Amino acid sequence: MAQFNRFTGIFPLFRAIKGIKVNHSSNYKSAIALENLYPNSKLTLTTPSKIPETNEKFNGYIPVKELQITYSRSSGPGGQNVNTVSTKVDLRFHLESATWLNEDIRAKLLEIQKNKLNKEGYLVIKSDLTRQQHMNLADCLSKLRKMIWAACAADAPAPAPSAEFLEMARRRKEKAARERLLEKRSRSMTKQDRQAPSLD
Amino acid sequence: MAVNRNVVDRALAVLRALPRVSLYNIRDHDHRKKKSARGQHGGGTHGHGKKFRQNYLPLGFESGNTPFHLRFGMEKYYKRYRLEREYPPVSLLMLQKMIDTNRLDTTQPIDLSSICNTGVYSMNINFNHHGVNLTDEEGFDQFCAKINIEVQWASEGAIAAIERNGGVITTSYYDPLCLHAVTDPARFFLRGDPIPKRMIPPEDAIEYYSSADNRGYLADPEKVSLARLALAQKYGYELPKIEDDPDYTMLTMRKDPRQIFYGLEPGWVVSLKDKAILKPKDKELLEYYRT
Repeated sequence: MAQFNRFTGIFPLFRAIKGIKVNHSSNYKSAIALENLYPNSKLTLTTPSKIPETNEKFNGYIPVKELQITYSRSSGPGGQNVNTVSTKVDLRFHLESATWLNEDIRAKLLEIQKNKLNKEGYLVIKSDLTRQQHMNLADCLSKLRKMIWAACAADAPAPAPSAEFLEMARRRKEKAARERLLEKRSRSMTKQDRQAPSLD
Repeated sequence: MAVNRNVVDRALAVLRALPRVSLYNIRDHDHRKKKSARGQHGGGTHGHGKKFRQNYLPLGFESGNTPFHLRFGMEKYYKRYRLEREYPPVSLLMLQKMIDTNRLDTTQPIDLSSICNTGVYSMNINFNHHGVNLTDEEGFDQFCAKINIEVQWASEGAIAAIERNGGVITTSYYDPLCLHAVTDPARFFLRGDPIPKRMIPPEDAIEYYSSADNRGYLADPEKVSLARLALAQKYGYELPKIEDDPDYTMLTMRKDPRQIFYGLEPGWVVSLKDKAILKPKDKELLEYYRT
């Protein structure tokens, strides 16, 4: 056992030599193979172009190619790391010519996010939240997504009040009216008692 | 004295019907010899000595100083320590270094066996280590290899980094018995034992490995495809079309949930000396290894 060296080529399966063809495929299928766990699934890895579309104006998909992303150094403390690593992310795109966005949303965003637009009409989103570039990019995208969802919701009519809410509101009103009348009557009695009593 | 034959027959019939004599259906009769009180007529002190009535001290008593078993208090934090699995980490930077120094072959699927065989990663099954935890703490930006990798735990950033470069990542579970084979395959094959079949993950892990967001090996591949797109949208990269990749077959190669080595089935015995593989033929064994 002491003399055995696991790296002397006993089996090419265990060595990282490029080019040696090892048969990795196998016809073995157990009872818990994916085919048995998900009989209705296609079981292939594919690249869907979009997440299944919904009827709403925005289904969550943002084409990253249409956005201009630049990286720069972040501010704040951090010594050599913050001085040398480009962790700040600047994400911008021309809002009026963004064809990937629904027209209504574009108009709404122009209205709501006018403080984030620059002179040329670019919507600018920046982030230096974390110490890592990819996390800051994720933060920028999440900010953009939230803006778009907020723009969608701003147009939408307010949801109708539920039956429970209406019932509660009615009870509250009735209680308030009862208490007001109680108070009023009590005050009235007090005032009447101040008068001289009459014989009739 | 002659015994009546009728009585004998009836006795034998009773004996035939009764259960087998064992320790559970016999006992001493009432006139048995009672346990003696030691010595003649009990021996006076009955075996306790003549000096004085001894005081039996409590077990573990150390004649005054705090006994060993009371010196240390109980702490709640280590109550379930044996059940808590650990996954020694491998950062993306470390993985890229392994690939750049030819310790890992990117033209073939990478699994725990390959990573252990690089000689640069160590884990100890006795310390409840269950495999590789791929982290994105270091090396997210430097990672640029297209690989098919199977790890035991992966952070979201690590999954994003692998998929961004057109690779495929899967998280899978190996139970401790299989880990002995997987972490040191050469040593395992010297034993001559049949390849074990992998057990399903424990209760607290099965949700993790069935989830498409974690790229679990028990998750639906269709859901995994959607999760890949969702992650690409989250981290802001263009997801490469994997179907158009010439290495598509290599990248989508996966082990069966019961399999621990690519190309080898559980139940097979690998004989290094004879350079042969012995396969079971017995029906019961085949059924066991296929369920």
